[in-house]
Amino acid sequence: MTNAMRTSAGAVTVERYQGVRADGRLRRLWNANAPGYLFLLPWLIGFFGLTLGPALISLYLSFTDFDMLRAPGWVGAANYVRIATADPKFASAMSVTLTYVVLSVPFKLTFALLVALALNRGLRGLPIYRAIFYLPSLLGGSVAIAVLWRQLFASDGLVNAALSHFGIVGPSWISHPSYSIYTLVALSVWQFGSPMIIFLAGLRQIPQDMYEAASLDGASKFRQFYKITLPLLTPVIFFNAVVQTIDAFKAFTPAFIISGGTGGPINSTLFYTLYLYQEAFGNFRMGYASALAWILVVIIAIFTAFSFLTSRYWVHYDD
Amino acid sequence: MSFRVSRRNFMAGGATLLSLSALGNSAFAQENRLRLIWWGSQPRADRTNKVSDLFKTKNSGVAITGEFLGWADYWPRLATQVAGRNAPDVIQMDYRYIVEYARRGALAPLESYMPSKLQLDDFDPAQIEGGKVDGHFYGVSLGANSAATVINTVAFKEAGIDVPTNKTTWEEFGKIGAEITKAGKRKGYFGFADGSGGEPLFENYLRQRGKALYTTDSKIAFGAEDASEWFDMWAKFREAGACVTPDIQALYKDTIDTSPLTVGKAACDYAHSNQFVGYQAMVKDKLMLSNYMRIKPDSKGGHYRKPSMFFSVSAQSKAIDQAVDYVNFFVKNPDAAKILDVERGIPESKAMRDVVAGTLDETGKVPLEYVSGLGDLAGPLPPPPPTGAGEGQVVLRTISEQVAFGQLTPADAGKQLVDEITRILARG
Repeated sequence: MTNAMRTSAGAVTVERYQGVRADGRLRRLWNANAPGYLFLLPWLIGFFGLTLGPALISLYLSFTDFDMLRAPGWVGAANYVRIATADPKFASAMSVTLTYVVLSVPFKLTFALLVALALNRGLRGLPIYRAIFYLPSLLGGSVAIAVLWRQLFASDGLVNAALSHFGIVGPSWISHPSYSIYTLVALSVWQFGSPMIIFLAGLRQIPQDMYEAASLDGASKFRQFYKITLPLLTPVIFFNAVVQTIDAFKAFTPAFIISGGTGGPINSTLFYTLYLYQEAFGNFRMGYASALAWILVVIIAIFTAFSFLTSRYWVHYDD
Repeated sequence: MSFRVSRRNFMAGGATLLSLSALGNSAFAQENRLRLIWWGSQPRADRTNKVSDLFKTKNSGVAITGEFLGWADYWPRLATQVAGRNAPDVIQMDYRYIVEYARRGALAPLESYMPSKLQLDDFDPAQIEGGKVDGHFYGVSLGANSAATVINTVAFKEAGIDVPTNKTTWEEFGKIGAEITKAGKRKGYFGFADGSGGEPLFENYLRQRGKALYTTDSKIAFGAEDASEWFDMWAKFREAGACVTPDIQALYKDTIDTSPLTVGKAACDYAHSNQFVGYQAMVKDKLMLSNYMRIKPDSKGGHYRKPSMFFSVSAQSKAIDQAVDYVNFFVKNPDAAKILDVERGIPESKAMRDVVAGTLDETGKVPLEYVSGLGDLAGPLPPPPPTGAGEGQVVLRTISEQVAFGQLTPADAGKQLVDEITRILARG
């Protein structure tokens, strides 16, 4: 801004500019960076007002019995004690969520990598394919897709209609406690688009001459993949694994829509976040739900830290 | 999610806001703008908005904005609005939640407005009692209804079976259901929905046994053997193929459009009488209402006339007087009554009941006749459910599913239900 002013308004502004310099480095720095901060302002307001602020308030509320209607009352660590000792639903929600994380993340990443490998060959119309494969990820978190998924996996849905051609009478996948979690895993795997795009970018980073050298030495395609592609891709795999694990822990919408908010049948789709939501808004226990949320933060932090600690043994950085 | 403000209201609200901001007079804005919130479907919203328009023509200078949501989304939103000190002035309240909201100071006590602004003298006294919590009056009942069995008469006719009557017992009903399933006139069709996880059904069963769900002092009012026998009865129905399979029942989400009856899986389902109009609108076959079955030919008192919905006024409202005027208009103005019909239940005011009775169509008459014809099956209104009753309902459903999917025996299920509800009530 100062530059523009100086050129357009001439000497007057130059004078002012020098005056500012006399006031000190800080003022000058501010003036030079003010537009930057101005553009950052919406993000800063969002970060402090909608992320950091509420997070700190929820930390406070987790030590209270806040019920949303009355003022919160301090209860000390009672909520945390209850979670640890007297809440069977916490255990069941945690086990559903861990099952989901353990199943969906590896399947999703494998699938994403396979598609990325297929797309990595110089395909005609590649951008179109990329867009098409990415589309489910954009839509995937949405209510409409979860509703669609419900239709697909209902007892008289498309999946069972297809199975019936092979003489198989399928159950109602989404409403049987033994299968319902797998339909949600399948929905998650289907949203492989964003790790796929990142894999694709990672594959493009691998120098072609390595493959040329390897094939001159007579290495098979599989061996090339195993000895070149995979090791060089580990930083990207690592990144995807961490991001997808965090996402899986936070999954909410699909379970909410597919079970109609109940987490049923028999709590088989009671994701952690869904339980948290029920406690907060269904049972008026915002304080308790805040404690649940902070437990989740800690668990995610532990998982992430664990990933970083083990990463040095299997992630290879090209240096 | 299912949140909609009709375009007209949106425009009206927007226009009002614009004109008010032009005036720059915020005090004026708060005195003359009423906000309403309710749960329900589009037809209910149309009726409600029409009444608001009528109220506006008679009270110039009042702007009314209304919003409505589906049941499941409604409560989180209302709780958030109340917590954010942004509650609407007039709140549709349910019998299940009125204790929670009243005890936490979210609702304005209205007894001081009677009879000056709230003229409820021709209301059934029991229904006024139903709007009271701890001696204060917090909710004006918008209509009475009762739990009911919805029956697809065409499916019964196809199977050559007589529809249940006021005298039918559960045992006979089980046989009827098995026969319909066996008749196999429709593909994948069963006699009735699995009601083992339905709280109104279970409550009705308990009341016929002289028990109840909860006592007046918020304790559990039934024993493990009551619940075990209940689960056992349903296990036998399932075994006989009288009711739908558990994976079909699990798709039911407490809405009319997911009911096994509506989706063409069963000839009977369980609902409340005010929902009849909604069911009939979604099912082509002619439907009828019947009571819940008797446990023995001479048992009685299972049903009751339940205030289906209340209008409550927010304790945070800046225009309580005007909100009370609106509520009174809603339940006592003949033109409003004609618009509202029996969509929210049978009007509580005798005068309005007479107004509505003259204008009802055939479908609308069914719930009116049903509620007035319950006879000895009708008993007194139970006390409002205590804090934690919402969780109790979820536990009943979960345990009933465990029995249905073979993870629990009926005997263990009964014990577990009593244990868990006792634990929930102790927690408060």
